[in-house]
Amino acid sequence: MLNFISGQSLSVRQRLMTLGVAAVVGIGSMLGVGWYQNAGLDSALRRAVQMKADVERVNEMQLANANLVLAAMDTIIDRSEGAIQPERIAIIDTAVNLLAAGSSTLKSIANEAGAASEVATYDDDLKAVAGAIQIDLKRLVENGAAEEDYAAIDDAIDGAGERLGNVLSKIATLGGKEVEERVGEATARSRSALSVQLSLGGIAFVLVVLLQLIHGNSIANGIRSVRASMQRIVDGDYDSEVEGTDRQDEIGGMARSTDIFRRAAIEKRDLETSTRDTNRQNEAERESRTAAMEADTRALKLAVDALGGGLMQLSEGDLCAEIRGPFPADLERLRNDFNQVTLHLRTVMGEIAANSSSIRANGQQMRSAADDLARRTEQQAASLEETSAALSEITATVQSATHRAEEASHMVDDARDFTEKSGLVVNDAMAAMERIEDATGEIGKIINVIDEIAFQTNLLALNAGVEAARAGDAGKGFAVVAQEVRALAGRAAEAARDIKSLVGRSSEEVKTGVELVTATGDALHRIGEDVLRINEHVKAIVTSAREQSVGLSEINSAVGQMDQVTQQNAAMVEQTNAASHTLAGDAENLSRLVGQFQVGSDQPVAAYRPEPAQVASKPRPSPAKALIEKVAGTFNRTTPASSSNAAVAEHWEEF
Amino acid sequence: MSNAIKQSGAYLEIVSFHLAEQEFCIDIMAIREIRGWAPVTPMPHTPPYVLGLINLRGAVIPVIDMACRLGMNMTEPSERAAIIVTDIAGKLVGLLVEQVSDMMTIRGEDLQPAPEIIPEEQRAFCRGIVALEKSMVCFLNLDTVIADELAQAA
Repeated sequence: MLNFISGQSLSVRQRLMTLGVAAVVGIGSMLGVGWYQNAGLDSALRRAVQMKADVERVNEMQLANANLVLAAMDTIIDRSEGAIQPERIAIIDTAVNLLAAGSSTLKSIANEAGAASEVATYDDDLKAVAGAIQIDLKRLVENGAAEEDYAAIDDAIDGAGERLGNVLSKIATLGGKEVEERVGEATARSRSALSVQLSLGGIAFVLVVLLQLIHGNSIANGIRSVRASMQRIVDGDYDSEVEGTDRQDEIGGMARSTDIFRRAAIEKRDLETSTRDTNRQNEAERESRTAAMEADTRALKLAVDALGGGLMQLSEGDLCAEIRGPFPADLERLRNDFNQVTLHLRTVMGEIAANSSSIRANGQQMRSAADDLARRTEQQAASLEETSAALSEITATVQSATHRAEEASHMVDDARDFTEKSGLVVNDAMAAMERIEDATGEIGKIINVIDEIAFQTNLLALNAGVEAARAGDAGKGFAVVAQEVRALAGRAAEAARDIKSLVGRSSEEVKTGVELVTATGDALHRIGEDVLRINEHVKAIVTSAREQSVGLSEINSAVGQMDQVTQQNAAMVEQTNAASHTLAGDAENLSRLVGQFQVGSDQPVAAYRPEPAQVASKPRPSPAKALIEKVAGTFNRTTPASSSNAAVAEHWEEF
Repeated sequence: MSNAIKQSGAYLEIVSFHLAEQEFCIDIMAIREIRGWAPVTPMPHTPPYVLGLINLRGAVIPVIDMACRLGMNMTEPSERAAIIVTDIAGKLVGLLVEQVSDMMTIRGEDLQPAPEIIPEEQRAFCRGIVALEKSMVCFLNLDTVIADELAQAA
């Protein structure tokens, strides 16, 4: 604890705080102890005063006891009156009440004084006295009792009164003693309180003084040491360390700042020293360099002359220039570099010559290729225009095909209607045939009737013949007539038979006709179904023809765009052509310029040979041509478009 | 009677009819009437060739199937079938024939006797054969054909 306080970990503020806290604690403890002791003293005095009042009350009770006994005696003396005087009764009642009321006080005093046994009989005695006086005596007096009774009661009252008086006097004495004790106790307590307060005050004073000394010393020592360190730094003594930098308080902070000042001063001093050394060194170097420079200048002049000669050769285009004489050692690299440069230039110039000749050859080839390209592009543009025209015609053809297909669809509709009508006609024909059949049946019946009639006629004729025969000669003429009638009937029957056979044949024919008409109806029905299918096909054809028409118009617009692009290509090819012409001329110029350089005979010049066209540059079959051939094949009609297609094809085959 | 014909000599009137593809004829004088086929009322306990009875204007007469009587198949009556009502020995008998074909007058000498290889009993049916240009007609002896039956019935 002491270390902690006297140590260097506390700040100044904390030190002042400890001082203040110590003073406040000392004064506070003094005040607390004073207040506590004062409270104890106060209660002791209050108890002494209470006890004193109780003792006085006991004294009053003694007096009352005496009065009571006296009043009783007086009553006994004045027993001749036959009644107790009222004032005496009042005195007796007052005294008895007072004694009864003081019983508790008396007991409390006895308890405190430790003489509780003394008052044990008090209540009984008091009751006996009170009973003797207030009841027995009163009765005796009023009854005018005998003398012996009075003597007995007198003795009883006297004895009890005397006991009560003794008790009361004894308790009064004890109470007085108790009061004195209480006063003495209070006095002792006040004395001890003063001594405790004094000792506490002393301790607090000593503690504060001690803390004051410790903290004062610590702060004063720290500030003094820092001041001494500052003074040393001002005097130029940078080597000695600043004291107190390890302190945690504000003084430690000051010490650390001072230390920083010290170190800065040390660094500044070191810097000045090093600057002086450097200056001296520089001076020496400058002198030695001047001497060396003069020697170098001479060698440099020789080298510059040689170099100038070489450069002169170079400027004249002689790339074979080379410096042979040795240069000063530090310039030897320059000579080598020059030689290297000329060698490199020779190599590069040789390659440039080779490349320029290659460029010239390529330029010429490009020029001729560009010419070809321009010509072919023009042909392509022309072909595309023809293609566009051919496509327009194909479009017209497809549209006319569409119209025809639509007409075919209408015709097929009509054919279907006709077929349906033909079906109705066939049905009518069949009905008519059936009616003919019915009529034939009727005819057969009629013929049967005729046949029957002819038979009956025959029978009649036979009967007539029989009658004529029986008539003998008279009936001969009649027999002839009968014969004639029979012949007629036979002819009628024969004719009826013929008609019957004819009608039978006719009926057969009608049956055949009915079958044929039925077959015709079936055929017509099938034709109707076929016509419906044809109608569907024709509608599909119409739809596809419309789609073809749309596709062809798209192809047409695509070909138009191709035409436009080809026109732009043609323009661009013209520009390319001009550019390639310029390029070829430039390449020739370049070759001529490069030819001015002498590069020696040992440089190989790689001559460029133009290569033949690759496979990839050969013409490919045109998709448009294939399309048009396909379309033309689809319609397979001799139109002007096909001839122009052929012409286009011929043009394309040239590519 | 055949003698009578021969004696009277000159001409003989006959009525010919068909029975199962064969042609027969009878003397016209035996015929009372010819009428068309009409259904007959069958009679119990009669031979198969007696078809039944018909009502001829109030008179009940029997009808005989001639084909059956002559040992051929039963005639199937058709529209052309006829019943020849004959007077045989004073009794009226109806003969069912397939078809009445003709009424003709022949000379007596045209009637030739039937060949003798046929037994007598059977030959009695036939009075003779009438040979025509196209066909041969059997002249039936109605007395034999019917009268025997009537006698048997009696």
